[in-house]
Amino acid sequence: MTPVDPGRSPARLVVGVDIGNSTTEACLAVVAPEGSITHLATDLTRTTGVKGTPDNTEGALKAIRGALARAGRSAGQVETVLLNEATPVISGLAMETITETIITESTMIGHNPTTPGGEGLGVGTTRSIGELGEQQPGEPVVCVVPHGWDFDDVAATLNAAVAAGVDVVAAILAGDDAVLVTNRLERPIPVVDEVSAVEKVPLGMLAAVEVAAPGRTIRTLSNSYGLATVFELDPVQTRQVSPVARALTGNRSAVVVRTPTGDVTDRRIPVGELVLHGAGKTLRVDVDAGAEAIMEVVGRAQPLDDARGEPGTHVGGMLAQVRDTMADVMDIAGQPDVPVSEIAIRDVLAVDTFVPAEVRGGLAGEVALENAVALAAMVRTSRSRMQLVADLVSEGLGAAAEIGGVEGEMAVGGALTTPGVDRPIAVLDLGGGSTDAALLTREGECTAVHVAGAGELVTKLIDSELALGDRDVAEGVKWFPLGKVESFFHLRHEDGTVEFVDQPLSPHVFARVVVLTPDGPAPVPTRHGLDHVRRVRREAKRRVFVVNALRALRQVAPGGNLRALEFVVLLGGSALDFEIPDMIADALAPHGIVCGTGNVLGTEGPRNAVASGLVRAHAALLAEEARCRSR
Amino acid sequence: MPEQVTVPGPRPAVLVYRHPGTPAAVLRQVRAGVEEEGVPTDVVDVPGPDDATALAHAAAGESRLGVGIGLDASGTAAVHHGTLPERTPVAATPAEADPSDWRRAGRIAARVVKHLPLA
Repeated sequence: MTPVDPGRSPARLVVGVDIGNSTTEACLAVVAPEGSITHLATDLTRTTGVKGTPDNTEGALKAIRGALARAGRSAGQVETVLLNEATPVISGLAMETITETIITESTMIGHNPTTPGGEGLGVGTTRSIGELGEQQPGEPVVCVVPHGWDFDDVAATLNAAVAAGVDVVAAILAGDDAVLVTNRLERPIPVVDEVSAVEKVPLGMLAAVEVAAPGRTIRTLSNSYGLATVFELDPVQTRQVSPVARALTGNRSAVVVRTPTGDVTDRRIPVGELVLHGAGKTLRVDVDAGAEAIMEVVGRAQPLDDARGEPGTHVGGMLAQVRDTMADVMDIAGQPDVPVSEIAIRDVLAVDTFVPAEVRGGLAGEVALENAVALAAMVRTSRSRMQLVADLVSEGLGAAAEIGGVEGEMAVGGALTTPGVDRPIAVLDLGGGSTDAALLTREGECTAVHVAGAGELVTKLIDSELALGDRDVAEGVKWFPLGKVESFFHLRHEDGTVEFVDQPLSPHVFARVVVLTPDGPAPVPTRHGLDHVRRVRREAKRRVFVVNALRALRQVAPGGNLRALEFVVLLGGSALDFEIPDMIADALAPHGIVCGTGNVLGTEGPRNAVASGLVRAHAALLAEEARCRSR
Repeated sequence: MPEQVTVPGPRPAVLVYRHPGTPAAVLRQVRAGVEEEGVPTDVVDVPGPDDATALAHAAAGESRLGVGIGLDASGTAAVHHGTLPERTPVAATPAEADPSDWRRAGRIAARVVKHLPLA
């Protein structure tokens, strides 16, 4: 131990603490009086509570104690805890379908049972299998078989009816028996099975059943003029049924029943206009126009003062929903509530997406792909309560705690410890709710921006586009590479390499698309192939992070010119992603920018930038004071 | 009338080893499950052991598709693959199984052959 000179202040033990949306990070270091830093340990834990609220104290203390334990120091030795001033933004998400397919009368069964029977097209009148005996010969019949019929009995009944002269041209079954029945028929007909709501199929109506050969899709019922031919429709009626044809496209089997008042509507819900106030202008854009058009207008209204949606339309509802959520987050017990009208939306990211939605009025759980728009919105808040968190941390630890600096600036400071970087340096913090950029010029000037949309939006897009309905599964698809289990002992990775395993793979992942989590392969509950899942994942990341990286960097770059940037360092949780950094680097490469994932302190990767930046800023301050004293 | 027992033919098939005490309905539904998926089955009567998993394992070893089904006197159906250890079958019907469980066992065997997800 160096003896402490009583005339000079000794080396001080300080902890930088960064409370983020999802993780809390600590950086423990000894700062010498002249400002040199010796890093001792870092730690990382989950953030407790919503960022910027007193609930954060628990996580902050845990991270501090974790770092202390690693360095073998005690809480009593800590001189100062430095906390970040939280980025003054919170973000919200909303998603709305802008089309909806409704079958107002039971007219269509367009599902894909895995094993339909027979092949071809059969057109006739729907009759229950129970009344087949009373049927007069001659008229073509589509036989409807309810639940509870055994395949041998179905086949025997159909064979008997055909022998008696009844012209059975097709069958619709409730159970999974189509192949079994077809194999036992003397005269082959197309059979569609697994129609769960078979009792809703109207009887005595003209119906068409089509089954394509394996590997093929139906040709007649997915074609508007095919439907017109089968049902002898006039041009007006043909126009009405065209959504049916569209909804059946790509199926291997389908049933269409013509009911007198039947109607499938492809309703376009009024989406409404987004009204953007900013840069002294008020600009309007129809959300129907799509994400690209919206983002172009958002770009012209920068910096945005507020965004509103037309009341009574979808976009009005979406933005109101975002505002309400944010008002709840900002409310502080004991203080007056934040009026919703005062919440100004400072950035919007629009993303085109599609949502597989169950068709209302369908008989077999038919699914139609509906267009949708996802909006991420960001709001500024002045109500950070980090000072309160600092007071609580101080109390809990028995050491002084203070707000050490603003997040963006601190992140740049931490990023500068990455080997190989220099000023001018820009950091991109790829977070959960927002994507943040900060630029430190050669002269030491720092500017920071926050744009809406980040990891949470990616998860949401994956979840809805794959119809997973499970956020955790969607997170898995986002975080881990995919594979396909090809046998009990080998799996093919998404890059095509095949891995042999020593222990047999579980039957529940057999032949499935899986995400390769550290705990082993986990199935992705989808009928889509690996390539489709991979495309959805990469597109979601590109539409959010690549778009936002460019948007945010243009806002900090001098004159909006990306060529003026030299070093871009990626930070934050999503910088740990296995492909996002590469996607951003690819997008920036044409601008002559060096871009890569940060390696804070040369050891921490993209983590701990803000915490280390806090320590650096504090050390610089101490050095400055020391210089002043020595003069 | 008992289901007809087929002799292993020249084409590859899912092999079903049936204990003589197996209820006829079990064999019928299991074979229907395989047939609905478009895969052939061959059935062999095997006197013992009276244990569906052991029978399935033996059948999978003999089947040229590597997939076997064992049916025992209690009405249990087990599905096995030639590469798996004997005590870890692909699937087995629960106690108190009903016709849909037996059908599912056949379906699973066929889907192992076809390399399709089993559920």
